[in-house]
Amino acid sequence: MSAVSIHGLSKIFKGKRGTKVVALRNLDLEIGAGEIFGFLGPNGAGKSTTIKTLMGLITPTSGRALIMGKDVSSPEARRHVGFLPENPAFYDYLSAAEYLTFVGRIFKMEAPQLERKSEEVLKLLDLWDARKRLMRGYSKGMVQRVGLAQALLHDPDVYILDEPMSGLDPIGRTLVKEIIQDLKQRGKSVFFSTHITSDVESVCDRVGVIVKGEMKCVRRVDEIADGGITGYEVRHIATGSDSPESITVSTSDLPAILSELQSAGSHILVVEPIRKNLEEFFVDIVRQE
Amino acid sequence: MKNVAIVTLKGIFRDRIFHGILVNVAFFVLIPSIATLSMRQVTELSLTLSLSLVSFILLLLSIFLGGTLLWKDIERRYTYSVLGLPLTRGRYLLGKFAGTAIFTLFVSIVLGVATYLVVSWVSIIYPPERAILWGNLTVCILFEALKYILVIAVAFLFSSVSTSFFLPVFGTISIFLAGNVTQQVYEYIHSASGSALSPLVCQVAVGLYYILPNFSAFDLKVNAIYGIPISLSGTLLTFVYFVLYAAIVLGLAVLVLSRREMR
Repeated sequence: MSAVSIHGLSKIFKGKRGTKVVALRNLDLEIGAGEIFGFLGPNGAGKSTTIKTLMGLITPTSGRALIMGKDVSSPEARRHVGFLPENPAFYDYLSAAEYLTFVGRIFKMEAPQLERKSEEVLKLLDLWDARKRLMRGYSKGMVQRVGLAQALLHDPDVYILDEPMSGLDPIGRTLVKEIIQDLKQRGKSVFFSTHITSDVESVCDRVGVIVKGEMKCVRRVDEIADGGITGYEVRHIATGSDSPESITVSTSDLPAILSELQSAGSHILVVEPIRKNLEEFFVDIVRQE
Repeated sequence: MKNVAIVTLKGIFRDRIFHGILVNVAFFVLIPSIATLSMRQVTELSLTLSLSLVSFILLLLSIFLGGTLLWKDIERRYTYSVLGLPLTRGRYLLGKFAGTAIFTLFVSIVLGVATYLVVSWVSIIYPPERAILWGNLTVCILFEALKYILVIAVAFLFSSVSTSFFLPVFGTISIFLAGNVTQQVYEYIHSASGSALSPLVCQVAVGLYYILPNFSAFDLKVNAIYGIPISLSGTLLTFVYFVLYAAIVLGLAVLVLSRREMR
């Protein structure tokens, strides 16, 4: 069973004076168990609309979405999900500990388990010392970490995270990446949206690029890296020289250049592929539009 | 629903609006002095003033808490995180309403105790000509509480529709004002003087009488102040009316909120 299944999902918002805004257009996607899926797209591409639809906050105009086989229109689908909204806001008159208690009770966690898990996630996200302070006094990064804590609390099978690294300092970002990698090792599925391609590169199995409400491509991250060789850097020591030199050659010219160097008696030290990174891949897709 | 109600109660107790409105309780201290101005009916006046103050505080709470609680959740985007939990919108709204209603009952009890203390104090110093019916006073305050819980239900209905603060607050105030006079208007158009009105006006007035909440049915202040017996059947009928009307209003609010897009 797929962790997340999206079939022909479309959403049209009614604008002012009877205008229609197509936010999602016939979206199809399957995310498997234990898979980390990065959802990339420029601003206004439909990332948050997709996520809000998955979480039942928005009703699709057409199509269907399932989480762990349950239709997203049912609150039961959300029982399997740890959800972090974009720029999250929580009841600021509660402390982080009180909010986690509230969330745990909604998920029907037993009191001892709730207490143990609360302590675990609060410590993991470096909120333990601030747990009794009201959240109205928290910084943006702390609120973001509360968001991650409440998503992790009930140890769900699926995580839907909207811009999870937003508002975090480099240490916080590294921590989130480590958490996502740990979730992968534990067989959990993670669907997260981001603008930052390096985040996808470092933790994701697959990436989907959405532009103007349409899924433009879904690829494995390692395939993008392998298929994106734009040329090679050849380091060699020429005859009669002591220091190595580097030359950049295109993929098509590589065999000819190598045989030329060999026939000239150069000692070839290393041939390193120059890869197109995910950012260039993403920008190319967006520019095609 | 219970968890949402508990969190709502915590939120209200930590809310600045509540703290601001709570300051009005201090006016109870002034009531014994002001009541002496009546010379002959000091106890009756202290009862009138106390019950009016109770009503005023409950009105402020029901308008400002009822009209802003749900709206604030949507406006501050708390709903994204809360409705992302396995919770139906119906349970969420009813949980918030239950928290606010429990709070209103709690405040009514506190204000009721304050009223008892003030009236007891005044009646010791200025013994009244007729005995105070404490049972009437209790029933009167209970029905004041029910009236304002119904006002909160109306405020929740407006909040479920609106994207701004104005409709829940000013819409509720308008319904409150209109709901207090519909009974009098209904009686007027059915009196001899009302026969001069056009049939259209009469039909509109009768229509509004049935649609709008009839808040005057909850007003038992006269019975409490002057010791007039309270009709058991009348109070039962009002209670049934409260339950049915609140159920319809909240049902509509749930329906509207369930269809609302959380963009």
